[in-house]
Amino acid sequence: MRTLKLTGQAVALAAVAGLLGLLVWRLTHQSHPPKLGGPAPSFSLHRIGAPGTLALASLRGKPVVLNFWASWCVPCKGEATMLERAWLRYRSRGVVFLGIDYNDVTRDARTFLSRHGVTYPTLQDGSGAVADRYGVSAVPETYVVDRRGRLVVHIVGTVVGQSGELRRGVQAALRS
Amino acid sequence: MTLRLAAVALAALAFTASSAAACAHPRTSLSYLEGQIMCPTCHTTLDQSDAPAARRIKAQIGRRIDECWTADRIRGELVRNFGAGILAAPPHRGFDLLAWWLPVGGIVAAAALLALGVWRWSRAREEPPGADAALDDETERRLDELLARLD
Repeated sequence: MRTLKLTGQAVALAAVAGLLGLLVWRLTHQSHPPKLGGPAPSFSLHRIGAPGTLALASLRGKPVVLNFWASWCVPCKGEATMLERAWLRYRSRGVVFLGIDYNDVTRDARTFLSRHGVTYPTLQDGSGAVADRYGVSAVPETYVVDRRGRLVVHIVGTVVGQSGELRRGVQAALRS
Repeated sequence: MTLRLAAVALAALAFTASSAAACAHPRTSLSYLEGQIMCPTCHTTLDQSDAPAARRIKAQIGRRIDECWTADRIRGELVRNFGAGILAAPPHRGFDLLAWWLPVGGIVAAAALLALGVWRWSRAREEPPGADAALDDETERRLDELLARLD
């Protein structure tokens, strides 16, 4: 009887320890936006509309504008043209624009890009893993990464109406 | 006019028949699949979600069903597009098998522990310590006296 009681207690203790472990794991793995001034989380994703993958690390030395979007996101439609115009304006100065298509059907993403005339590279983040690392809670969200790979600006929501913030970020990234 | 209508009806019938016949296997359905696929933004199954992302995925599934894709092939495409997290239940292979068998193992272990506990407990009740021990002479004498007084 005593052995049984001890076994039961050990099992209960192990179960409680397991649940506590899960809680700690969940708390430490929650996605938070990375800190501005800190390094941009690295990634390598498949391109949409072009073969191969593209890694953020390969763009070190260039300012990068990262725009998280999805074809099902209504505000993303509104900012697509503006981002394309900004890309055409800044690309001669070495600024790279990257679209990151989040939780989206690839076919719909292609249609979106073609309909809105987006010509800068777009990457597929189907599982949303990269968006999680950037703490993206809802699209659109935009980050500007400087030449040294540090985050300088984070724009939550559409860049329409926040164009000053985008400009400030790109200027800061160009100066870096 | 009647001839034209008849021609249109015939063409529609032929199209329907050809698209149905184009499937070499029983056609899967959206209602069958939408309970097995998660909405990636709202974390519920598609049948419980009306989020924009869920609507897009349902439309994609609908297109694939029209193209005669099997349920397995559609699931495979969604996993390639969104990752394994798009599936409501983990696959029955590899490491994911643990997710299926661990709860079963837990239930079996708990039932075994419970059964063992009940068995030990019932045995302890059946055989109280010293139940069959004889009374000593002094107690037997006192008991006899008490019983005699009661008579």
